[in-house]
Amino acid sequence: MFDKFRDWEQNRHDYAKDWQKHNGGKVIGYFCTYVPEEILYAAGVLPVRILGSHEPQDVTEPHIFGMFCPFCRDCLAQGLKGRYDYLDGLTIAQSCLHIRQTFTSWEKHIPLEFTYYMPHPMKVQSPRALPYLVSEIEIFKKAVEEWTGVTITDEMIKKAAEVYDENRRLMREVYELRKAENPPLSGEEAMEMVISSQLVDKAEHNEELKRVLAELPNRDTGRETGARLMILGSEDDDIKFINMVESCGATFVTDDHCTGTRYFWNTTPEGNGDMLESIAQRYIDRPRCPSKDWEDRSRLDHILKMAKDWDVAGAIVIQQKFCDPHEADTPTIRKALNDIDVKNLFLEFDVTVPLGQFRIRVEAFLEMIGDEDLFD
Amino acid sequence: MITAGIDMGSKTIKVVILKDGEIIGKSIELAGFESREAAEKAFAGALEAAGIAQGDIEKTTATGAGRKNAPYTEHEVTEVGSDARGVRELYPNARTVLDVGAEEGRAIRTTDEGKVLDFALNEKCAAGAGAFTESMSRALEVPIEELGPLSLQSDASIPMNAQCAVFAESEVVTLVHAKTPKQDIARAVHDAIASRIVSLARKVGFEPDVVLIGGVAYNTGFVDSLERALETKIIIPEDPEFVGAYGAAIIAAEGL
Amino acid sequence: MSTKALYKTEPLKLWGKAKELRQNYYRDYAEAHEKGGIRWAGGAWTLGALTAGLGDDVHCITSEPYAASIAADKKFSMRCLEATEKAGYARDLCSYMRNYWGSIILNEYAFGGPFPKPDFLWQDHICCSHSKWYQVVSDLEGGIPYFSIDVSVGPYENIKGLNDPKIDYLVGQMHDGIEWLEKTTGRTYDDEKLIKAVNDECRGTSAWADVCALNKAIPAPLEEKTMYSLYVLGTLMKHYQVCADFYEELRDEVQYRVDNQIAAIANEQCRLMSDTQPPWGFLSLFRYLEQFGAISVGSLYTFGLIGIWEVKPDGTWGGRTTPEQAGIEIKDRDHALRIYADWNLSKPEWQHFYSPHLKTEMMIRIAKEWKLDGVMLHYNRGCEGLSIGIAENRLGLIEAGYPVMTYEGNMGDEREFDLTKTMARVDAFMETLGYKK
Repeated sequence: MFDKFRDWEQNRHDYAKDWQKHNGGKVIGYFCTYVPEEILYAAGVLPVRILGSHEPQDVTEPHIFGMFCPFCRDCLAQGLKGRYDYLDGLTIAQSCLHIRQTFTSWEKHIPLEFTYYMPHPMKVQSPRALPYLVSEIEIFKKAVEEWTGVTITDEMIKKAAEVYDENRRLMREVYELRKAENPPLSGEEAMEMVISSQLVDKAEHNEELKRVLAELPNRDTGRETGARLMILGSEDDDIKFINMVESCGATFVTDDHCTGTRYFWNTTPEGNGDMLESIAQRYIDRPRCPSKDWEDRSRLDHILKMAKDWDVAGAIVIQQKFCDPHEADTPTIRKALNDIDVKNLFLEFDVTVPLGQFRIRVEAFLEMIGDEDLFD
Repeated sequence: MITAGIDMGSKTIKVVILKDGEIIGKSIELAGFESREAAEKAFAGALEAAGIAQGDIEKTTATGAGRKNAPYTEHEVTEVGSDARGVRELYPNARTVLDVGAEEGRAIRTTDEGKVLDFALNEKCAAGAGAFTESMSRALEVPIEELGPLSLQSDASIPMNAQCAVFAESEVVTLVHAKTPKQDIARAVHDAIASRIVSLARKVGFEPDVVLIGGVAYNTGFVDSLERALETKIIIPEDPEFVGAYGAAIIAAEGL
Repeated sequence: MSTKALYKTEPLKLWGKAKELRQNYYRDYAEAHEKGGIRWAGGAWTLGALTAGLGDDVHCITSEPYAASIAADKKFSMRCLEATEKAGYARDLCSYMRNYWGSIILNEYAFGGPFPKPDFLWQDHICCSHSKWYQVVSDLEGGIPYFSIDVSVGPYENIKGLNDPKIDYLVGQMHDGIEWLEKTTGRTYDDEKLIKAVNDECRGTSAWADVCALNKAIPAPLEEKTMYSLYVLGTLMKHYQVCADFYEELRDEVQYRVDNQIAAIANEQCRLMSDTQPPWGFLSLFRYLEQFGAISVGSLYTFGLIGIWEVKPDGTWGGRTTPEQAGIEIKDRDHALRIYADWNLSKPEWQHFYSPHLKTEMMIRIAKEWKLDGVMLHYNRGCEGLSIGIAENRLGLIEAGYPVMTYEGNMGDEREFDLTKTMARVDAFMETLGYKK
């Protein structure tokens, strides 16, 4: 049922190249989910998120110091190896220092017709962030207009936002179904769904989502649900890991990742009719990346509520090695999870993860959760 | 004119004796705990091979991490300098030198005139290529000298984390538990180590000819991995671990 | 022979005064409460002048130099780092942050006694860790009021005047911050004191840049190890009048050294620059360079983290013209905040957060104007903020024809630095440059 998503996820480059050929449009790679994709989409550009390939590589050493996260180096390796040679443009919205370097090295060493670094408020909790972000989206819009030769009207932005919001609502609906005692999809399938949404035309993704949603409530996956888990932390598209955990007698029912719920959780608010302001407001309100979550740690309540609403028995807290923003949050989050009796396991991810070793830890963890149940 | 070069490596000590540009004696000893004693032994061995006495040597230049402890020495040169000099003598067309020893990996870029243009050394996190293969050979229960030929039997490409030796080691354990064929693991280990050396080579912007020296050059599996990753043929001298000492002996002669 | 004296040397007369100012600073912070004053904590480049409007008895402790002081005391540092690790924080986080947190967890002040708890936290956000740092401090200290200002609006070259929306974003937050300061402390805010602090900070940070510019002279009047002890004042108290006064006095003394060819090291032959914070427990590395007749005459770090610069009419770098020098009289709070925002955003050491290529350009400028023979880059595992893009800087400098040596280390965690191996690298680097011991 989820084959299409998987196919998109596994053959992302083929999809983008085909799209480019058939639509004659421009494809832009982006690095962080704070990029206001609606503006690009409105101009007829296909935004694709650049992710790594989970293979060891030896090409980034001259460009990024090894103390930065494996993800940002893996992404740059894709560029240096020419796997994204079909891109017409490249962009990033300001978030963490790590991924920023992928952009600045890529921009310098791989020629492209359009590159754009978008300043983006880090203190999204400040009331000053909204007018500032609106002004930055305005500048971004002008740059995109200049690049594509398309004048982006409010009407076009509104339409793009509608397509995006529909995508967000539909994926949220799928996530709602995961609240069921026996969720009709695995965590692996959910991850493929969300990641593919970052790689393909949203309108097409919406059609597939609608098709899936029509059948999903009655789907029998034929697999034991086992322990209900959530997974949270930094960027995570390690499908092999998800698959390994779910083969140990568990099912992921929700997540807090930028490759998961953080990407699609909220929709564009109605607002006062100013489309740029509404779009900016969505990016400010969305579940936050820890790099933008201060002075309050607003993620905490969001995560705890999610753990309750999806009735999770345990959480796996992961992070890319060297991811500072997550490292600064992790101890507090783990403590808060413990306080509401959600057992949790912490794992550090690299480009490849030692599945065998992690399996031993995951099995022990699941055993611990299982034992708890015996005494409930 | 007779000069000597002594390479005080972290694991082995090498001595080369040169007479008018020709090697007339060489010797290698394990450094052990008493590197000074080992160095004297290596010297004695080289002198014996050359059939001369210590007093016949006009000048000795020391290189290697422990060069401060070298006996009979008037002059020092860094490993970077001695490697570059030795390789230039053997292969004038060499522009990139890779030296992979027990503890340290090194990449050196030289100019057409043989001068050092840039060099890169492995950092703490990627240390110990040689030592790492040894511990892997123990984990696989394969003698170290068979590890290379074993990996040549494999054509499977298993991704292994190359960034950190500790992570890589845990991946090997995973593979062993998963009953992965030994030759495939051996190849994965060599690929992982080669990838670190290739990173260094890319850092200095490698150009052909590429010459590989140091004890790990004897490992055919490693060399195969390196050539695949660099997509270039690699030149290996006859006695790859003696090149540093050879370079030092030449530098000693040039200083006379 | 590299040890041969080529120039005369003389100790710096103001050395003692710099030391005294630093001691007074830490003492005044610790004793502030005894005199009814206020204590606050924040980063070295926080917008400190804003707190001046609360009164003259407001004392701060800035986290990075404090943590560097801890790092210089290897034993205490190790206890701090271990305490932080025990509390569950990752070992690869900013080492300043980990030393600082450790000092709080252990409740030990590096200068004796328990850690003097601040009344509020006043930070700004430029690297990933900056605002997270005090989020955790607030957690550890049981909820100290905390305000942080986001200054990440892109490189200064993109700012179009004092009314640019990017400036509005900062100034808006600063206005909110002042309201917050009043509410948090219960004090009435004095705009005149704010204006004075803004002028003092502009004066001091421009004067420090002038001091650094004097180091273009051959022989260099200062070497970087000494500069660390001088520039630290700016990281502690750049908005204090004593700091601005000191840097002006220092500028006079360094000018005197230049005029009289008084060198920092007598055997100067090879001029280098470094980059990022050094491993603080191992400054002997700089003394080792001297054996080759090599001197580090500074870095973008020592020049541009506190120093504020501009391109002079002749195309070279010098201290930025202050608002006072430009005849600008600050009218009111909003005007002061706009000038202050603009001044700080022009900080050289902030530009690289957006692009390493901007930093490379500045480094090449330094290499040319300060007449360098080579560059020694510290790949600093302790600070992702200043190490960001460093590999690209290396490539850019090599492309521009400057020999570059790199070494890995950590400014505040000695477990990640190897002095012997680093000296071996210096040996090889000096050998390739043709300098002998």
